[in-house]
Amino acid sequence: MASGQKAARVGEEVWKTRVEKVNAELVTLTYGTIVAQLCTDYDYDYAQVNQQLDKMGYNIGMRLIEDFLAKSNIGRCGNFRDTAEMISKVGFKIFLNVTPTVTNWTADNKQFSLLFDENPLADFVELPDDGRAQDELWFSNILCGVLRGALEMVQMSIEARFVSDVLRGNDVTEMRVTLLRYIEDEMPPDDD
Amino acid sequence: MVVYSFYIFDRHAACIYKKTWLPSSFSSSVTPARPSSQPSQPYVNGGLQARAALSADNDAKLVFGTVFSLRTMVRKLGGEDDSFLSYRTSQYKLHYYETPTNIKFVMLTDTKSGSMRIALQQIYVNCYVEYVVKNPLSPVEHPGGLGVNNELFEASLEQFVVC
Repeated sequence: MASGQKAARVGEEVWKTRVEKVNAELVTLTYGTIVAQLCTDYDYDYAQVNQQLDKMGYNIGMRLIEDFLAKSNIGRCGNFRDTAEMISKVGFKIFLNVTPTVTNWTADNKQFSLLFDENPLADFVELPDDGRAQDELWFSNILCGVLRGALEMVQMSIEARFVSDVLRGNDVTEMRVTLLRYIEDEMPPDDD
Repeated sequence: MVVYSFYIFDRHAACIYKKTWLPSSFSSSVTPARPSSQPSQPYVNGGLQARAALSADNDAKLVFGTVFSLRTMVRKLGGEDDSFLSYRTSQYKLHYYETPTNIKFVMLTDTKSGSMRIALQQIYVNCYVEYVVKNPLSPVEHPGGLGVNNELFEASLEQFVVC
C-alpha cells in the first residue's frame, strides 16, 4: 500500500536523524517500576492499575502528539486507514523503534488491531503469580492511553484496549483500536 | 522586515499568547479589522491611550474571527485540505500557520515581507514544542495563557523575531 510505504520511509528517516536515543533497558526498567509501584499503591486491584496506566498515558499522549508532529512534519491524514499506518510506522517507530502490524480491519474501516511482535515495555517481565494478574492486569496499558490522548488532539475520539498479551500466555500481543467519531472544531465563544 | 505582532490560539479558540512589538500609541494604526468609521486621530490625549488598551484585548478576538472565517471559506472553496497562507492590506500582511492539533499561529508584519510559513512552523517546532509542550510544569491546556508565557519561550521567540 502506497501510504504504508511512505509512512515507513518517514518513520525510518525521523528515527535515524531527529530522535535522541536512550538505553532501552532503562525504559523497560523504569516502566516496570512504575507498574509495580502502582500495584502496591492500589493494593493489587488490577482494574484500578489498568485505569491509572491509561490515564497516565492519556496525559503523555496529549503532549507527545506535538513532539510527533514537530519531528515528522506530516499533515492531517486523509482517512482512518492512513492514520493507522502513521501510528504504526511513524509513531511507534520513532518513540519505541517497533512497528506493530496493522490488521483485522472491520468492513466499515473504523476498527483495527495492532499486533506487537516485540514490546520494549514488557522485556524481562513476568506477571505476579497470584492467580489474578494473569486475567486482570494489562501490563502495557499505558500505550492505550497514549493513543487515546494523542488522537484526541488531532480531532479523533477513539477507544483503545488490549485484547491479548503474551505476558498472559496468549500467542500474540494485540491492541484493538476503535474510531468513535471525528471531533468538530470548536467555535469561538459568542461575544455579548 | 518588521514584525508588528504575534498571536497563538489554542484548539478551544482562545488566545493563549500575544505579543506586540510596536509602541502602543502606534499600534492602533496597523491593527486589522478596524471599522473604517473609526476616527484616525483621537479627540483628546487620553483617548488614544484608552483606545490602545481597549484594542489590545479586542485585537486578538478580531484576528481570530478573521482567521477563522477565512479558513472556513477557503476550505469551502478549495476542499478540506486547503488552507490560506497570508493576506495583505495596504498597511500590513497577516501570516497564518495551523498545526494538525489545531493550534493557530498568526503573525502581522509589514507589507514587503515574503512568506513566513516556514518561520511560523519553526516557531512551533523550536519554541512552542520545545519550551511549552515539553515543560513538565506547564499544564497541557493553557487557559488564559498559563504556561506559555515562560521566560525560555519568550526569549527564544524574541531571538527568532529579531534575527
